[in-house]
Amino acid sequence: MPGADVVVVGAGLSGLTAALAAADSGARVQVLARGNAGTHWGSGGIDIAAPSGAATPRAGLEALAAVPGHPYAALSGEVEPALNWIRGILAAEGLTFEGTLDSPLQPAPTSIGGTRPVAILPTAQAAGARPWVSGERLIVCGVAGFKDFWPDAIAASLSRPGVWGGGSRPDGVVAVSVELPGLAARHNLSAVELARRFDDKAWRADAIERIATAVEGAAAGHAPGQGPGRVALPAILGLNDHPAIFDELRRRLPLEPFELPLVPPSVPGMRLYFALRAALIRRGGRVRIGEMIDHVECDGARVTAVATAAAARTSTVRTGALILATGGIAGGGIVADDAGHLEEVVLGLPVEAPPVEAWLSADAFDPEGHPLESAGIRTDADLRPVDRSGKPIYSNARVVGSLLAGGRLRDRCRDGVAVASGRRAAR
Amino acid sequence: MTIAELVREAALEQVGYSADECLKCNVCNTVCPVARVTDLFPGPKYVGPQAARFRMGHTLPAQAKGLPRLASPDRTVDWCSGCGCCTAACPAGVKVAEMNSQSRARMKAGKLPKLRDWGLGQTDLVGTVGVLFRPIANWALANRPIRRLLHITFGIHHSAPFPKFSRGTYQSAWKRRQKRLQKQFGITAEPGPGAAVVYFHGCSVNYYEPEVAEAMIAVLARNGYEVIVPPQVCCGLPLISNGIYGEARAHAHKNLEILAGYARRGYKILGTSSSCIHTIKAEYREMLDIHDDEATVVANATWDICEFLLDLHDQGKLDTGFGPLPQDLPYHAPCQLRSHGIGLPAMDLFALVPGLRARDIDHDCCGIAGTYGMKKEKYGIAMAVGAPLFEKVRASGATEAACDSETCRWQIQGATGVRTRHPVEILLAAYRAADAADAAEAARR
Ligand SMILES: Cc1cc2nc3c(=O)[nH]c(=O)nc-3n(C[C@H](O)[C@H](O)[C@H](O)COP(=O)(O)OP(=O)(O)OC[C@H]3O[C@@H](n4cnc5c(N)ncnc54)[C@H](O)[C@@H]3O)c2cc1C
Repeated sequence: MPGADVVVVGAGLSGLTAALAAADSGARVQVLARGNAGTHWGSGGIDIAAPSGAATPRAGLEALAAVPGHPYAALSGEVEPALNWIRGILAAEGLTFEGTLDSPLQPAPTSIGGTRPVAILPTAQAAGARPWVSGERLIVCGVAGFKDFWPDAIAASLSRPGVWGGGSRPDGVVAVSVELPGLAARHNLSAVELARRFDDKAWRADAIERIATAVEGAAAGHAPGQGPGRVALPAILGLNDHPAIFDELRRRLPLEPFELPLVPPSVPGMRLYFALRAALIRRGGRVRIGEMIDHVECDGARVTAVATAAAARTSTVRTGALILATGGIAGGGIVADDAGHLEEVVLGLPVEAPPVEAWLSADAFDPEGHPLESAGIRTDADLRPVDRSGKPIYSNARVVGSLLAGGRLRDRCRDGVAVASGRRAAR
Repeated sequence: MTIAELVREAALEQVGYSADECLKCNVCNTVCPVARVTDLFPGPKYVGPQAARFRMGHTLPAQAKGLPRLASPDRTVDWCSGCGCCTAACPAGVKVAEMNSQSRARMKAGKLPKLRDWGLGQTDLVGTVGVLFRPIANWALANRPIRRLLHITFGIHHSAPFPKFSRGTYQSAWKRRQKRLQKQFGITAEPGPGAAVVYFHGCSVNYYEPEVAEAMIAVLARNGYEVIVPPQVCCGLPLISNGIYGEARAHAHKNLEILAGYARRGYKILGTSSSCIHTIKAEYREMLDIHDDEATVVANATWDICEFLLDLHDQGKLDTGFGPLPQDLPYHAPCQLRSHGIGLPAMDLFALVPGLRARDIDHDCCGIAGTYGMKKEKYGIAMAVGAPLFEKVRASGATEAACDSETCRWQIQGATGVRTRHPVEILLAAYRAADAADAAEAARR
């Protein structure tokens, strides 16, 4: 039975952040996760807070911190230091971000032709969130045969002023489509396959040339009053060699390029995962993916070991502390049955959730989101899970990320909660 | 039963039903080493859970046990190497790789297998003949024109790594050794389960790498364990990965019958091949659908050698008197080992050896995937899959590498020229280094 000082269950943003923080303080860390999750599904950004009406992430953070039961109520002071810290780690792995807590929340276009309010973005997405100046055009550049990005539909949708929520917007949106080399015979082209092709230097030299030609054509074709502009591309600009690729493209194009994150699998999210994982391994941390927790061993209120389901028997890791980062309902850390009973799968912790009667809203697309989004585990200020009376159940177990009770997807606070709680839990 | 238990059970339950858990999120496609390097394979999601509904069919049985009812609508499933990376990465617990293996078997069921694929599954036959005609066989396998002929006629790639046949089988060497011991010491009774373990050596040791067995026996002796080597046949994995389930099942039953006797008497069954051992632990039940008492008893008693040694260490019973091995040692964890779900016990053991700079290469797959990379149409894919691993091994400047499964060792050694050994060989070297240091010390006094 190998041993660790800290076992982290879950390899999403919160789990990896917690593991990094623990490793930074000298602990031997073992991450155990059933699979990849939020990182591979999300946009690869680190959203802090964007509740409606907030002008900046800081304003959003303050508003959410005032909501009773919201994870930020206890964590708001930790968010900025945690964000700066994780950005430093990511930058050292080649993944940089732009924007701060005080940058304006701007409507940035999405790959289905809508917008989302963002302020802090990976460098390659950042130009999408800069305010538009008069005369500036947006060229949406797609890849022929790639079914997760439809430039004509995106451009048509982004041409409607209402999409931009009354803020600044481009003066005209046009679509172009490029034939990239060697893809003609491909079906089922995915963003990841395209990104891997960009990692290949020879292939991308050709591809970037073709993109440049198409963009120049579109820019010229749009003639009178040639203003500046930007080019939106699907987020496929490389996995391993992404910063160099983005740089090459930026130098070659007449207009500022930016990536639009796509439906899963998310290339920007994978970059985030790879960078976090590499940083963790560099610090001596260990990551095991494909491990389902079977049970946890305790000595009184102390967790002593974590056992995963293995071939023919369970495999046990002895540990000094446990950090649960299983992502709640979406991540698999909480499951529900037909009768409306919710269960936290690792420790069987009590789940705080709206009553079952509230689960089925009349409107499947209710802009408020689904009531179950807020389901999670209630903790004390040290992130230790508590029972119904508010007393900590385990002395050395912590809960982080989307497994925490409170918070809604639409407030775009989950990444900030993940980073702040992850770093706090490891202290 | 709690919900969590139900969820866990569902995940462990029938491979086919796990398709219901698929979210179509594509995470499996992002980790597939084969899809990473070739357009021929669309990815595990497309041929696995996505195609699963087309395999269900309405009319029930008269079907091969445990297999999907209908053949795969997508024949590209045959490009799957079976490495299992998809199953590991799935956030929803879908048994993607297992599903793909079963649909390949379904696709091939009732048809005569390709002579080449059948032949690659006949490791005992090939091994027995090869050992019998050793000089000729080894010469032939190293001979370019003959390899080209094999390439053209049988479809075994002319550059695929092939080990050298050894002098006699390990089984016969073992029997000779037992006879000798009997003569010398008159020992006839088998040592009891407290003092001995049962060794499932598999084909690689039997026909090619007896030194791995010798290393294991020496390491175990150091820790107070004797070894029993019962008669056995190929575990059946090469048949499973070539979709020949019927014959694999026959192998399984033979082995289970022999091993169950020992398991029931409380012996642990150890193996040095993480692939064979995973087959016995998991695939007899999960893939071949053998759910009798024998299969369970044997699986529960079966351990990978490093898993066993680390467990000894955990109980404070491992002799940790390792001598210094001041060397770099790049280590590759085979896919089959990762499917055990036991972490990387070899790395934990290496950490006990003073001076040894072992480093996990952290690469998904070496490409060979058992017999996959030996096939002429798949060799290029296998080499491309393993390329980053080979590059790292070469760049390490090390003179030795380590890996727990034989075909991966042959693949790494073939591609890099770096001698690739089983972890127990490294541990034995460390014990010997201690002996050497002791001897030198004694000589000085
Ligand atoms: C489609 C989608 C879009 C999103 N968009 C946004 C957004 O725009 N802005 C925002 O702020 N947030 C967004 N989120 C939320 C955000 O991605 C994550 O929830 C957040 O980053 C926190 O992740 P986490 O690490 O807590 O959990 P996750 O990323 O869900 O990770 C959970 C981990 O736990 C593991 N796990 C679960 N159960 C077990 C078990 N029993 N045993 C072992 N391991 C287990 C999983 O395999 C996984 O590795 C989105 C989420 C989804 C799904």
